[in-house]
Amino acid sequence: MSKGRAIENGRSEVLQGTLDLMILKTLDALGPLHGFGIARRIEQVSEEVLQLNEGTVYTSLLRLQQQGWIDSDWGTSENNRRARFYSITKGGMKQLARETANWNRISGVIGRVLSLEGEK
Amino acid sequence: MTRRSSVLVAKLKRLFAKRRSDVEFDDEMHEHLRLLTNRYINAGMQPDDAKSAARRQFGNTTLLHEDRSEMQTIPAMETLWRDIRYGARQFRMNPLFAAVAILSLALGIGANTAVFTLLDQLVLRLLPVKDPQRLVMVWSTGPHFGGNSGARAASYPMYQDFQRAAKAFEFVFCRLETQSSITIDGGTERVDGELISGNYFQALGVGPAVGRLFSPEADDRIYMGHPSVVLSYQYWMRRFAGDPKVVGKKILVNNYPMEIVGVSAAGFGGLDPARSPDIRVPILMTPVMTPGRDDLANRRSQWVQIFGRLKSGYTVQSARASLQPLFHQILRDEVEQPSLAKRSQHDRDLFLTRTVLVETAANGYSGLRQQYSTALIVLMCMAGLILLVACSNVASLLIARAMARQRETAVRLAIGAGRRALIRQLLVESILLSVVGAALGLGLSVVATRGLLSMLPTNGATLMLHAKPDGRILLFSVGAAFATALVFGVMPALQATTLDLLTTLKDMASPVTGANTPARFRKALVMAQIALSFLLLVGAGLFTRTLINLKDMRTGFSSMENLVSFQVDPAKNGYLVARTRDFYSDALRDIRALPGVRSAAYVMWPLLNGREWDLTVVVEGHQAEPGEDMQVYYNLASPGYWRTMGIPLLQGRDFDERDRVNGGDDPQPWNVAIVNREFAEHFFGVRDPIGQRIGCCHGPGTKPTIRIVGVVENSLFAGPRSGVRRQVFLPYLESASPAAVTFYMRSARPATALFATLRGLLAKLDSSLPVYDLKTLDDQLNETLSTERLIAFLSTVFGVLATVLAGLGLYGVMAFVVARRTGELGLRMALGAPRLSVLWLVIREVLILLGGGLIVGVPSAYLLSRYVSSELFGVTPTDVWTGVAASALLGLIALVSGFVPARRASGIDPIAALRYE
Repeated sequence: MSKGRAIENGRSEVLQGTLDLMILKTLDALGPLHGFGIARRIEQVSEEVLQLNEGTVYTSLLRLQQQGWIDSDWGTSENNRRARFYSITKGGMKQLARETANWNRISGVIGRVLSLEGEK
Repeated sequence: MTRRSSVLVAKLKRLFAKRRSDVEFDDEMHEHLRLLTNRYINAGMQPDDAKSAARRQFGNTTLLHEDRSEMQTIPAMETLWRDIRYGARQFRMNPLFAAVAILSLALGIGANTAVFTLLDQLVLRLLPVKDPQRLVMVWSTGPHFGGNSGARAASYPMYQDFQRAAKAFEFVFCRLETQSSITIDGGTERVDGELISGNYFQALGVGPAVGRLFSPEADDRIYMGHPSVVLSYQYWMRRFAGDPKVVGKKILVNNYPMEIVGVSAAGFGGLDPARSPDIRVPILMTPVMTPGRDDLANRRSQWVQIFGRLKSGYTVQSARASLQPLFHQILRDEVEQPSLAKRSQHDRDLFLTRTVLVETAANGYSGLRQQYSTALIVLMCMAGLILLVACSNVASLLIARAMARQRETAVRLAIGAGRRALIRQLLVESILLSVVGAALGLGLSVVATRGLLSMLPTNGATLMLHAKPDGRILLFSVGAAFATALVFGVMPALQATTLDLLTTLKDMASPVTGANTPARFRKALVMAQIALSFLLLVGAGLFTRTLINLKDMRTGFSSMENLVSFQVDPAKNGYLVARTRDFYSDALRDIRALPGVRSAAYVMWPLLNGREWDLTVVVEGHQAEPGEDMQVYYNLASPGYWRTMGIPLLQGRDFDERDRVNGGDDPQPWNVAIVNREFAEHFFGVRDPIGQRIGCCHGPGTKPTIRIVGVVENSLFAGPRSGVRRQVFLPYLESASPAAVTFYMRSARPATALFATLRGLLAKLDSSLPVYDLKTLDDQLNETLSTERLIAFLSTVFGVLATVLAGLGLYGVMAFVVARRTGELGLRMALGAPRLSVLWLVIREVLILLGGGLIVGVPSAYLLSRYVSSELFGVTPTDVWTGVAASALLGLIALVSGFVPARRASGIDPIAALRYE
């Protein structure tokens, strides 16, 4: 039942809200992908640092879709089966830009705060 | 589009596509798992291991499903739906409660909707024309020293002055409603006609359905030069089945050849929301439409109604202000004209005090509205009171039910239900009740409205009012439903959820001391019901006595149910004076010969139908003081009139063949007159009126040349409300104008048996002559009293309804109190209290409730009844006996509904009661 609790072996929990951002970025960078493809891409980029229940990708996708930031269409998977392909919308790109700026600002602040404490 | 709304839209979409998207989601996840499994197999795992590794990596699918459905639903809507289903289940489990509550509400909401349906159509609704807010009606008040026909009438020259010079208006237009006979392909029928100025349709912004409508250029230029007819859409549909070929058709209107030039647009009825003319004719054709009267150039005759469309920037007030100087200029001109110049200075000064009035006509002008609006508003208030009584009944029931459900509520609260959630649940139940009640009430109101409409007089014209509920009515009843749900639901819901959990759960809910909050609140409700019922009963009493007083008023006519009357208007079939007179004589001769007819006669003005004709009189030897009321009421009668009506001839003689026309177009044709006792006593006192001379019809300067030959007993003219007037009767046979008349005949047989015979007889004389208003004088009186009948009937129904509801409420509360005090009463009896004293204990409480209700009700009735004084007759608004009767009736009901629980209380078995405790 414990979803997303930090687990042993040095892997980190995905921060609340950051999965949405990562998915947007992925779709922005790679174009339309299905859920499996998105999960692979995140796995690849995170270099196995992030612990991810891949099912939560779908919750995130649904949320993004409800907000109108991504769109979906039916296509065919590598398995030759029907699969849903997601793509970023114009609104999604704007949101990505906003969130990226936001992220940089906050991570900068947090980084500074943490490094201050380190110097003490 | 905001983010929030796009999420909402997505959720709403899903409400409808739930199944499919769930299946698709399953597919999507399975495909993902399959791909993951393949990946592990490719990496060298055994298929089973690969599968479970994939599952691990993917995570909990059930959880995922739950997250997903939570994200995709609107929680409030789901819970609402749950509450509704729960409420419906509660009602199914307790059908008696639900039935009583719903029925109370249905009656309350139904009564309100029915009255509102009429009020809306007659009073509130705007005319379906362009920009109705800018329409106004213009008329004037004050002494006019001339003829008046119809309400708010003006002279045609006055209209022309306004039309030419009034600056505040984009259009000034006028109209006159008049009945006419039209002959189409040989058949003659009677229709509602309207004479209108040429700019009428332009001013209202109404276009044609087919053909053309009138314009000032084409239809308002030449006196008697525009024999054109525009049909109303309804008449076109009804009479010609919407045939476009009627345009260009030649027809006869009042026996005068005219041509149908067009049909006005669908949905347009006219300026009167209650009735719609069938045909419209240019006003310059007046002589054809009102035979024998042509007052187009007469400033001393008021007969057209003037309307205007305000220019933008003008309000009703500023338009009136700008009209005032023009109006006074017109008055100053008129007072110098010969017709007024010889009046006394007093009269001339009086004349100049006339004022012009402007009023919005956004919802048109309706005589029916003038007659009924006060009544309808009174009835609407009464219906509102009924709804309050019904509400308090339901509130009381809800409290009782909440008591019964106390343990359930306590358990729910104890295991963590929020108070909010419980209140919401209870309110949803209330709304459910009132919505079902409103639906039922809407059905009731349609039936009730039909009933009400049948009580309104039609006066021969088709009434445009209907009982069919439309969007506005629907909206009204839905609004009423929600408002009532709030009124009766909130208090019980708040109260039900404030519980002392511990006590309730330990089942200590029936302490020996009976008094507690819910009972107190219910008692307050019962007192309110009694107060409201008192108000309604007093209203019912006052209105019923008004009706009885009016009906019981001595009319002066004997056995009216045997007096049959009908009207004919041969002038509208082109008859001239001589032929009209002959026709009347022939008809009279044939009718008198009918078996069962004792006597027959005719008069010009029909009796008891609200119309009268008054003029000033000159009496020889009587010097009129300036400002003295010299109005008398005229009628033209045939010989035999008083015998037929059963009015005793006190002195002198009846008219006879001697009193025939003496000389063609003599402006002063009359030689003899008969006056009533009121007239004789007013002007002659004890002197003998026979042989005295009077003058009439031409103002104060008239020479008194008419000799009084008879005096008759008083009788009513317009109706009971206006009472006995000073009357002068002139012989119709001397009249120089071919007026319509009303025949009266006294029948020895049941009156209705005569109707068919009469129609046959008149058809034999002239089959193309429409006969109308065939009825007994008794029917006529009932029609004239229709407002009073409507109010008396409805207020009685409302009063009884309220009393029954209050009785039910009282019974409910007392039964409840007795049940709660079982233990206490048992104890009292065990200690030796006699049965009678226990009985008294309960009855005393009933009397306290009754007294409490009356303490509020009596002063309220005292204060409110003055607002209806204009609707009353022969009874003061603060009539003591009505109040006493209402209190007595309420007392009786209270005792009856209190007695049953009281007897149950006195029959309590002390042992059983105490053991129960």
